[in-house]
Amino acid sequence: MSWSLYLSMMKSHAKMLGGFIYGAVAYIVLIIWIYPSIADMKGFNDMINALPEGMRKLIGMENGINSLADYIAGEFYGMLFLIILMVYVILTSTRLMARLVDQGSMAYLLATPNSRVKVAATQAAVIITGLALIVAFTTLSGIAASEWLISGYELDVPSFITFNVLTFLIFLVIAGYCFFISSSFNDEKKALGISAGLTLFFYMLNMAGKLSEDTEWLLNFTIFKLYDPIKMINNETNALLTGSMLGVGALLLFGGSLIIFKRRNLPL
Amino acid sequence: MIKVKNLTKRFTPEKGLFDLNFEVKKGEVFGYIGPNGAGKSTTIRHLMGFMKPDDGSSIINDLDCWAKSAEVQKLIGYLPGEIVFLEGMNGLDFLNLMQKMRKHKMTQKRDELIERFQLDVKTPIRKMSKGMKQKVGIIAAFMHDPEVLILDEPTSGLDPLMQRVFIDLILEEKKKNKTILMSSHSFQEIERTCDSAGIIKDGRLVALEDIYSLRTVQRRIFEVKVKKESDIELIHQSQLQTEIMGEKTAHITVQGNDQEFIQLLSRCEVEHVDTRPQDLEDIFMHYYDRREVAQ
Ligand SMILES: Nc1ncnc2c1ncn2[C@@H]1O[C@H](COP(=O)(O)OP(=O)(O)OP(=O)(O)O)[C@@H](O)[C@H]1O
Ligand SMILES: [Mg+2]
Repeated sequence: MSWSLYLSMMKSHAKMLGGFIYGAVAYIVLIIWIYPSIADMKGFNDMINALPEGMRKLIGMENGINSLADYIAGEFYGMLFLIILMVYVILTSTRLMARLVDQGSMAYLLATPNSRVKVAATQAAVIITGLALIVAFTTLSGIAASEWLISGYELDVPSFITFNVLTFLIFLVIAGYCFFISSSFNDEKKALGISAGLTLFFYMLNMAGKLSEDTEWLLNFTIFKLYDPIKMINNETNALLTGSMLGVGALLLFGGSLIIFKRRNLPL
Repeated sequence: MIKVKNLTKRFTPEKGLFDLNFEVKKGEVFGYIGPNGAGKSTTIRHLMGFMKPDDGSSIINDLDCWAKSAEVQKLIGYLPGEIVFLEGMNGLDFLNLMQKMRKHKMTQKRDELIERFQLDVKTPIRKMSKGMKQKVGIIAAFMHDPEVLILDEPTSGLDPLMQRVFIDLILEEKKKNKTILMSSHSFQEIERTCDSAGIIKDGRLVALEDIYSLRTVQRRIFEVKVKKESDIELIHQSQLQTEIMGEKTAHITVQGNDQEFIQLLSRCEVEHVDTRPQDLEDIFMHYYDRREVAQ
């Protein structure tokens, strides 16, 4: 990794990253802040239970809202945060590699005595840092907001943290294949299109798979199968196993990106 | 210092590079000339290790440019043909980043070059004119005092004054025994600085000679306007290759016989002499013809 390139990239990247962090933090704080009024609302769970089962699964409320943790997981991690992280990872991975090759500024980075692997590893470090920062800030604000902003509702902090680490790892894998795509293409638009298309496809498989039992098999073909916020936050998944699988997957994807970038012709 | 051996890259059967061979010795300045799309930048991309040859190899200081590209970069200063910098920086930020990535600490030469090219380095790069960007590129290529300079159309975008500054810079580096390869569309530009030149067309090297022999085969066409019609007759009857364009105007082609041309003019009453701008094919008709025959 080239430290000076890393710093310079983080600097030019800061504004966009700041925007994403701000969005995620503001929303989780808001949603926690209104929790007491929803929890006190009598008919809410009845209303939820009246929905068809597939629908309830989709919006992440199979059993209605029973705790603050369920609520945060279903309302925030299952919806907006998912979108924030998907958009961030797709945009950033494309910008860090394919865009520089497409525009030609990669030529300057490679015209220094830093190998391709080193340059690509630095770019990978930038997206990993960004993702980690978004998740970390969100975790901290979630914990802080449930401690100080509302009273009478407990959040199990250790399982909330474990859950966030898993969320980070899942999106690290998504970042991994987006980065791989970004490292393989010369055309920024193509890289963006393929990353976004693939991720959307995985997401749709996930939706279709949750709709009914007949379609459940579709879940085997999507990374989002592993992302079930309510189960994860309630420790109903094997965090260690899933976590290490995801970690290995991410490592392979990023490693593969470096290798493909090292070997290919660049039209710089 | 720079060796290109049987370098071949086929984009399509007609496009690409085909069996290129040339060598630039240490301390030599090599001009690489050819029309648009000839393959100059493609050759340079191979030297920089951006592209993998289909066949053959390019070598700098005994290191293979593809396999050892990071090591080769230690020796090189590179100016790309199409300069694009990282976004969201000003000129100085960019130059600083380049120096740090090279782990090069001395700023003396950089500041000297900034001064020389009269560049306002604090300008954000996206607000820079083409010439300003070119200057940043030139400074980035020269500031770490590299052994080998690889410059792709270095003077494009520079005004005539800055072109002079650039040529002086090249001549200085040449005195310091630096090895330089520069590409260009124009023979005139190469002529002033280079020791030898290669002419490339459609991915094939059509000539590889020292600059003096190229000069003798270079064709220049002069447009001569004389005062009297009898002078036109005189021109017409001379041994030179001439073409009468009007009552008092003629085009005279000169190729190594400058002396006869001057003698002819001295016998006429000349009103006006001008050179016609020409493309490379005009200048090096000799070489292009020879290739066509060979095919
Ligand atoms: N990556 C590529 N894939 C396919 N064809 C390419 C690629 N790069 C270059 N070419 C083709 O190879 C030929 C040579 O291009 P090159 O850029 O080397 O020309 P050049 O001599 O530098 O021209 P110019 O004077 O316009 O800069 C062109 O016909 C170009 O279209
Ligand atoms: Mg070119």
